Amino acid sequence: MSLTEKQIERYSRHIILEQVGGKGQEKLLRSKVLIIGAGGLGAPAGLYLAAAGVGTIGIVDCDKVDLTNLQRQIIHHTSDVGVEKIKSAENKMRAINPDITVQTYQTRVDAKNISDIIRKYDFVIDGTDNFPAKFLINDACYFEKIPFSHAGILRFHGQLITVLPGETTCYRCIFSAPPPANAVPSCSQAGVLGVLAGVIGSLQATEAIKYLLGLGKLLTGTLLTYDALEMNFRAVKLNRNPNCPLCGGKPKITELKDEEQVVCDLKNCKC
Amino acid sequence: MSKPEEPILHIPQSVKEDTHGYRSQVKKFLDGQTSPVAFRAYRVPMGIYEQRAAGKFMVRIRIGAGLVLPHQLERIAHLSKTYGNGIVHVTTRQDIQIHEVDIEDSPDVLEGLLEAGLSSRGGGGNTVRNVTACPEAGVCPEEEFDVAPYAIAAAEYLLKDRSSFNLPRKYKIVFSGCSKDCAFASIADLGFFAHMKNEAKGFSVYAAGGLGSNPAVAAKIEDFIEAEEIFEVAEAVKKLFDKYGDRANKHKARLRYVLARVGIEKFIKLYRAERDILKTEGLPYTAPQICEITSIYKVPKTSITVRLRLKNGDIPADDLSKVGQIAAKYGQGLIRTTQLQDLLITGIVKEDNDKVHSELKKLSIDVFGDGSSKIVACAGASTCKLGLCLSRGLAEAISNKLSRTASSAGLSETTIRISGCPNSCGHHYIAAIGLQGKAKRVNGKLMPCYDVLVGAKTIEGDAHLGKRIGTVPAKKIPELLAEVFDAGEINEEKLKNRVGQYSDFSSEQFPDDYYYDFGSNEPFSLAGRGPGECGAGVTDVIKLDIDEAKDALKSAPTNSENIYKAVIAAARALMVTFGLEPKKDREIFAAFTRGLIEPGWVKPQTQQLLDDAIDWRMGDKESIEDLFPQAEDLTKRVEELYLSLDANLKFKIEPVAKKTNVDKEDADNHVIDLRGVGCPLNFVKAKLELEKLDTGAILGVLLDEGEPVRNVPASFAEQGQEVLEVKNSGDHFFVKVRRKK
Repeated sequence: MSLTEKQIERYSRHIILEQVGGKGQEKLLRSKVLIIGAGGLGAPAGLYLAAAGVGTIGIVDCDKVDLTNLQRQIIHHTSDVGVEKIKSAENKMRAINPDITVQTYQTRVDAKNISDIIRKYDFVIDGTDNFPAKFLINDACYFEKIPFSHAGILRFHGQLITVLPGETTCYRCIFSAPPPANAVPSCSQAGVLGVLAGVIGSLQATEAIKYLLGLGKLLTGTLLTYDALEMNFRAVKLNRNPNCPLCGGKPKITELKDEEQVVCDLKNCKC
Repeated sequence: MSKPEEPILHIPQSVKEDTHGYRSQVKKFLDGQTSPVAFRAYRVPMGIYEQRAAGKFMVRIRIGAGLVLPHQLERIAHLSKTYGNGIVHVTTRQDIQIHEVDIEDSPDVLEGLLEAGLSSRGGGGNTVRNVTACPEAGVCPEEEFDVAPYAIAAAEYLLKDRSSFNLPRKYKIVFSGCSKDCAFASIADLGFFAHMKNEAKGFSVYAAGGLGSNPAVAAKIEDFIEAEEIFEVAEAVKKLFDKYGDRANKHKARLRYVLARVGIEKFIKLYRAERDILKTEGLPYTAPQICEITSIYKVPKTSITVRLRLKNGDIPADDLSKVGQIAAKYGQGLIRTTQLQDLLITGIVKEDNDKVHSELKKLSIDVFGDGSSKIVACAGASTCKLGLCLSRGLAEAISNKLSRTASSAGLSETTIRISGCPNSCGHHYIAAIGLQGKAKRVNGKLMPCYDVLVGAKTIEGDAHLGKRIGTVPAKKIPELLAEVFDAGEINEEKLKNRVGQYSDFSSEQFPDDYYYDFGSNEPFSLAGRGPGECGAGVTDVIKLDIDEAKDALKSAPTNSENIYKAVIAAARALMVTFGLEPKKDREIFAAFTRGLIEPGWVKPQTQQLLDDAIDWRMGDKESIEDLFPQAEDLTKRVEELYLSLDANLKFKIEPVAKKTNVDKEDADNHVIDLRGVGCPLNFVKAKLELEKLDTGAILGVLLDEGEPVRNVPASFAEQGQEVLEVKNSGDHFFVKVRRKK
C-alpha cells in the first residue's frame, strides 16, 4: 500500500511526526477499532479516529438520537434526532474522511453476540453507560485477548484505564462485580458535564492510536481520574489482582454471562 | 496448372502458420495473460487495427495488384456480414477492409479468409504492405506490358520471409505499367515502371518516396533492370531499409528519411552494396514463377472495362458478392480494386455492356456516379483518431455543390483528394486539387480550414507534389471549387487568385456557421485528441497563440492588461498537445500547471506568475506590471518547447527539472524534486521518499530557496536523519539526506 497524493496531504501532520511517518499512517489505515456505544464517549472517539484515518471503525449502538443526547454526544446533530445513532455516527465519520470503512451494528452487546463482534478488531473502546455492559466488554475482551480502553463519566468526574487482557490490570481486578442496584447513580439521574465526555472520549482515542502504532506508554495498570471542577488529573496505580475472578490464578468466570441490569432505565430501548 | 479456385496471389506456408497461431494469441489476450500493448504488437502486423469506436476492429486484407476472384469476394462479403458491419471498404492501396469486427471473432475471420486464399498478414504495422499495380494492368492499351504478374510474384517472394513483418517501418511497393503512373510508383518506397528494351521486359526503379509528413517523390535508383531482377532489387532495398531505417523514431523511420539523411549518392551506393552481397550469396528464398494472369483469366480481343464508383470506397457486402458474380459471368473472371477506391470489371465484350449495366443497376447503391470529379477523402475526424477535420463531410458538400451546378462536365478524370490532417491518407499531395485539413484561430475561436494544393503530377521522371497556394475556411471550399470548374478546366491562375482572396482572414467577420465543421453540431475543437494523436496540424494553432503572446508583450503600453493577455496566450498555446482546449482562464492555468509546471517543463516559479495573474484578473491584486520579465520568460520557454515538438507532439528538449543530472548520481539515483511545493508538504513528501529507502541510503531533495531550504533540512536533522549537504544550484537548492533510522 502506498499513500495517494490526497492522503499525503490529508495526513501530512501525522506523517511529519517522527514517531508516525508514512509507515505509521499506512498502519493506521490498515487498523480496525470498535467503538461500543455511540454516546458521549463514543462521539469524540469516533470523530478523531475517523479523522486520523483508522481504516475500519466499527460502531455498536441500538438507540436512536434523542434531543437530550445533543448536550454532549457531539457526533449527532439536531437534524439527527430520531435517526439511529449508528447511522448518524457513520454519516459524520464518513463525511470527515471518506477514506475509511465504517461497520455498524444496530444492537446491544450481550453474552451471545459480543465475541463475534469484537473478534474482528484490533482494539475496543468501551463507550457504554452502564455497569453490566462494562463488565461484559471486559470479560469478552479477556477471552478474545483484545486490548481495550475502559472509561466512565459522571457529573464532573471521569476515569479511564487501558487493559491488555491477561497482561495488565483488568476491570474485574478492581471491581469484581457490578454494584448493587441504585448504589451508584446513573447518568440520567445524576447529570454530567457535556465536555467531560469530550475529554475522556478523546483520551480513549489517544490510547487506541498509541496502541495501534506501538507508541509511548499505555495507560495500563493505572486508573486515570479527572476532576473537572478542581482541574486535577490523578494517576492511581492499581496492580493486577491475583484473586481476580476473571484473570486471577483461580478464575471463577470461565464463560460470558449477562449481568443483571441494575442501573440504567432501559424501557425506551427497542433492541 | 491453375484451377479457377486457386488464388492469384499464393499465400506462403509461413503466413498460413502465423495465421493459425493467431487464435492462441487472442485467447491469451482475452484471458489477461497478454497485456493490450503486447497483444497490439502482434495484432497490427496481422492487419488488424483498432477502430475509433471502442472495442471494434478492422481487418485489412491484402489484394495483390488489386486482383481478386469472385469466390474470394463472396467470402469477404460473408465474413463482413457474419462478424462485421456488412459494409466492405476499398482502400487507396487496393486493399479490402472488413470493419467493426470483435476481437474474439478475429481468428474466425482470418481463418475464413485463409480458406479462400486471402490474408491480412502485413496489412498493417512495420511490414511489406500490399504490393500494388495499375488497376487496368493487362487490359490497358497504353501499358508497356502487364505488370500485375510481377507485382504478384514480388509479393509472394517477400511474404515468405518473416523478416518482412518486422521492418523499421512500412515498406510500400508499386508497379506501374507505363510512365503515366496510374499506380503511383513515383511516391512509393519502391516503385517499378515497365519498359521494353530490345524487346525484353524490364523496369526502371525508383525508391524512397512517400506522402505523410515530409512527403517526397521517389528517386531513381536504376535506369533499367531485367524483369527477373525485381526480386533482387526488392530484397536489396529491404535489406538497406532494415539496416539504416531509424527504428528508434517511428516518425522518422520511413525509407525517405534514410535517403534524406545520407543523400542520393550514398543511398545508391548502399543499395549497390546490398545487391552485390545478394549477387554473391544468392537470394535467401527461391524466386517464385512469374505467371501470366491473362493466360488464365482471358481477355477478349476487343473488350471494355466498367468502373464502379464507390462513394468513400464503401460497398455493402451483398452488392460486393453480386459484383463478383457479374464479373464471373460477363467479365474476365476477376475483379479489380483501384487506387481511387473503385472497383473495375474488365474483359467485358461490347455486346454484354448493356447487360452488365442493367445488372449493376440492381445493386443497392449507385455505382455509376454523375460524371463529376472523383473525390477521394480519408476517413476523417469522425472515425480516425488522428483526424482534425471532417474530410468526408467536405467531400459530400463538394459533391453536392458540383452536381447541383452541373459545372463539372469534362472533368470526370480530375480527382479531388482530401486529407483531414497533414497525415495525408487522402493523398492530397498528388491530386489535381488537394485539400489538407487544418485548424486556424480566427477571432479567438478555432475554425476548420483547408490548405489548397495544386500542380501535382505523378509521371515517371517528372513527378511533383502539389504546391500549397493558400488556406481557405472549410465552409468556403465547395463554392471555390464550383467557380474554378465553371471554365471547364482548372485554371491554376484563377484558382490561385480566388484562393488568395479567400485566404484573407483579417478583415472579414465570419458567420457562426464557419466555426462548425461539415456535419457537426459542435463548434470546431481540438479537445479530446490524445497526446501524439492530433498530428502536425495543431502546430499552426500553437504558433498563433505564441505570436499573440509576443504581440501582447510588444504592444504599448506595458500595462497589466497586456501582460495578462500574454500570459493567457502563452499558457494556452501548448495545451492542445495534451488533447486539451481549455476555454476559461482558470481552466487554462490549471491545465498549464498539470501539464507543464508539475512535470518540470517550465520553472516551478511560473506558478506564482499564474497565481498573480489570476489574482489581478479577480481584482485581488492592483497591478501585474512588474511581472513583465516573468511573462516574457514564460513566452520564451513556451516557444522553446513548441520548437522542440516532434511529429508525435512530444517535447524533445530537456525539462527544466533535469538540469540536476549530476546531483542525481551523487544521491544513489534517489532524487525528489520538491520545487514549487510549499512548507510543510515538501517535508512530508521528502520524508515519505526517505522512508522508502534502506537505512544508510541517500536521498537527494530539490528545494526552492527561502523557507523550504531553511525548514526541510532542519526538520530532517531534528528527526535524527543525517543532512549531508545543502548545495545552492542557481535558483534552487539540492539537499542530500542519509537515512539513519
